[in-house]
Amino acid sequence: MEIKNIKSTNIPAFFDQMIKSGKVVIAPVLKKSGKVFFEAVQSYDQVSTDYIQTGFSAKSVVFPKVEELFSFKKDDEGIEITNNLHTIPETVVWGLRPCDASAFNYLTEFFLKENPDTYFTARKEKTTLIAISCAKADNACFCTSVELNPGSTSGSDILLTAMGESVYIELITEKGKAAVETAASLFTPGEEKSKEEFLAKVTSVFSMDEVKVRIKTAYDSAEWKHASMGCFGCGACAFACPTCTCFDIQDEGTQDSGKRLRCWDACGFGLFTKHTSGHNPRTNQTERRRQRLMHKFKYSVENLGIVSCVGCGRCIRNCPAHLNIFENILSVTK
Amino acid sequence: MTSLQNKVTELFENGTINLLIGFKEAIHKLPVPCFIDNVSQVEQLIFTPSCKGNLSVYLHKTEVKQAKKVGILANTATLRAIVQLVSENQLGDIEKTVITLNTNGELVVFATMDELEAYVQANFPELSEEDKKLLDQLNAMSRTERWQYWTEQFSACVKCYACRAVCPMCYCSSCTVEGNQPQWIKVSSETTGNLEWHTMRAMHLGGRCINCGECGRICPVGIPVHMLTVKMNQDIEAEFGAKTGFSVKNGYALNSFKPGDKEQFIK
Amino acid sequence: MEPKNQYIPYKMRIANIIEEAPLVQTYRLEFVDEKDAAQFSFKAGQFAEYGVFGEGESTFCIASSPTREGYLECTFRSSGRVTKALANCELNDIIGLRGPFGNTFPIEEWYGKNIVFITGGIGLPPLRCLIWNLLDQREKFGDITIYYGARTVNDLVYKEELEEWKNRSDVNLFLTVDPGGETPDWKGLVGFVPTILEQNPPKSENSVAIIAGPPILIKMGMPILGKNGFENNNIYTTLENRMKCGVGKCGHCTVGKTYVCKDGPVFTYDEVLNMPPEY
Ligand code: SF4
Ligand code: SF4
Ligand code: SF4
Ligand code: SF4
Ligand code: FES
Repeated sequence: MEIKNIKSTNIPAFFDQMIKSGKVVIAPVLKKSGKVFFEAVQSYDQVSTDYIQTGFSAKSVVFPKVEELFSFKKDDEGIEITNNLHTIPETVVWGLRPCDASAFNYLTEFFLKENPDTYFTARKEKTTLIAISCAKADNACFCTSVELNPGSTSGSDILLTAMGESVYIELITEKGKAAVETAASLFTPGEEKSKEEFLAKVTSVFSMDEVKVRIKTAYDSAEWKHASMGCFGCGACAFACPTCTCFDIQDEGTQDSGKRLRCWDACGFGLFTKHTSGHNPRTNQTERRRQRLMHKFKYSVENLGIVSCVGCGRCIRNCPAHLNIFENILSVTK
Repeated sequence: MTSLQNKVTELFENGTINLLIGFKEAIHKLPVPCFIDNVSQVEQLIFTPSCKGNLSVYLHKTEVKQAKKVGILANTATLRAIVQLVSENQLGDIEKTVITLNTNGELVVFATMDELEAYVQANFPELSEEDKKLLDQLNAMSRTERWQYWTEQFSACVKCYACRAVCPMCYCSSCTVEGNQPQWIKVSSETTGNLEWHTMRAMHLGGRCINCGECGRICPVGIPVHMLTVKMNQDIEAEFGAKTGFSVKNGYALNSFKPGDKEQFIK
Repeated sequence: MEPKNQYIPYKMRIANIIEEAPLVQTYRLEFVDEKDAAQFSFKAGQFAEYGVFGEGESTFCIASSPTREGYLECTFRSSGRVTKALANCELNDIIGLRGPFGNTFPIEEWYGKNIVFITGGIGLPPLRCLIWNLLDQREKFGDITIYYGARTVNDLVYKEELEEWKNRSDVNLFLTVDPGGETPDWKGLVGFVPTILEQNPPKSENSVAIIAGPPILIKMGMPILGKNGFENNNIYTTLENRMKCGVGKCGHCTVGKTYVCKDGPVFTYDEVLNMPPEY
């Protein structure tokens, strides 16, 4: 892997150079609510540097909360269908955490392995991920339990690690290399070294190997009820989660002109599986939450060979009931 | 065992309850709702000032209704919610045992709804300082500014419906926002549709919302969505003298008529 | 070549409308674009997403047989927003179609075997495709037996075809309506499909059974067949979970790790028993 260094004081220049080069840059921004969210910025001044984790993940860059699949218009000749895939801009995501970046590996596997998804492909191709390793963590972070860590490079194009006056730069992919080319003079060549002392300490709460084995028989565990009775069936966890991919397809407009959209949906919603007849295959919240957790830790492993929880802790921080996914995974795999 | 745990054990043992909705400490130290159905689990129970959640929302759950004899740990907001729900005839099918901590930190178990109502009326909560401040700010705005404020706030709403999910008064088995014949409100999250969704919800809750503030507190985006109904409640109280979650007989100010009511809306 | 954008529908013209039963209609659809017609092919068991532009999409099987070329048919009950809008369409209107999606019935494996169909109500359309597919190559199969029932006489779909199957000597048809659903001149059986099945069990030797319909029929019917000696891997069903995308992405149709839309909708009883009961 190619290593470079940059002075921390030169970070704003690098950042602004990317914007000047015409890229849309999405970065963490502190909002009035006191929470930090990713949004498109015009300059480095707007970027928050003090956050453990953003409120929502960066998945919206490749899987927006609302994506127009196409628009349609009826005329005398019939119906014209158009989409605006070609308008997707080159985008840089700045400051996502290693856990989020690794979520992109899962997303790519999920969306592209079978029946490749045109919209995801188009967005992913245009996206460069510049992650920043974590110097701080909170008690909702559990990356080390899902075989990641505050400095893992998986999924990122570039990983930055602040080391005092200078920033240690790991250029993981060709896309990453291309990104630093926009401001090549700011960087100096560097050597591989340990990031350990600059990383947050995140204690592992379970052994993934054990969980993988035990979860095979967890479906019937009586603990699901205790783990999930408090679940309200909202979308706060799924919408914030970097690997939740469920969506709804909805038409808006009239029968003469309008658009077809896909919008985030959540398997925790009571209506998610409900048939028109009224029959509902997952009748209660315990079953719905089990589906979400089993998907992360069992089903995605069986289908794609990947644990689809990256331990970012968002579902824990956002849950109105304070349900804790790793506590629940521990209890159902006891 | 704490006095709370002793009390709950007693309630289980003498058959008063067969389910208790309470709080326990989650692994990350925050209070998480727990549903206790036998004495062996009582030791997990906690009830501290950090237990802000409004557990009354769970009284609508099928599993809870099936348990019939239900105990519930109630902070002041929860007590108010119970009063309001009783006034809306929502809790008829369960025998409730409501437990609270009074201002001296002592355990109170209400024997009757009348006792509970009297307690709520004597300890009627005020708006928090934070909410008062925000309300003043909102009131000081011009209509245009206020519209701008809410437009900006709701443009960020992702329609996760957590605000509705935690609301004890949002108990409709089928919510208007999900009705699609006709589709009143867009499913996708975008500013206009989001405003429609929150206007609709506020209209359903004005005069019913018990000011617990949960919806605003838990919104993952940080939208103070509770201020809409807090404001409506204030107006309704000024117009009709009706406080929400105050009296089990009061019902709902906006669908009851009293000869003394002002009728300015007709003019 | 770029992979096809699986969310863009084909445009289909409504070429014929048949009223089957109260609220139930069959549409015959023809491709607006010849090129689409030429590249489209499907097999029995597959389904599609039928869309009314501006209203949305609804999922149902392709009800016509792949052996009848040049058109597709679908049968639906109008109940939700989309199916109501679909029902309000008129002849020659253009609707969208995405598909075909899902796996297929392994017809070639069934050559020489007796085939038993069990279905109720609006569960017949998914099997009608298969039934005609087999009848169009009748000589390759042994006995063909059909158990079909609906709530009332009026609710039976494909009434003319039922009449035709009844009169064919090479089809064995048990036609029934739920108790109370019969009319004075009803000549068929009266009773729920599972009851009729128990009273007139099909022979299991060298036989394959296919069961489709509401989840309750599947959940009750499969064990009855099992009791009558059918092996679990000779019992097939087609599941109908809620679907949105049809291609294994939206998550709506999942039963455990299984995506009904892409791993199914056709499953054997063995496979169903290995899933959580979330259908
Ligand atoms: S955020 Fe919490 S309450 Fe909402 S669906 Fe997720 S687990 Fe349930
Ligand atoms: S399940 Fe929770 S902790 Fe895991 S990736 Fe999703 S939001 Fe993060
Ligand atoms: S909780 Fe917040 S983001 Fe979610 S629907 Fe309510 S206002 Fe919108
Ligand atoms: S928003 Fe209105 S319709 Fe929806 S649950 Fe709340 S009160 Fe009912
Ligand atoms: S219908 Fe979307 S995943 Fe199956």
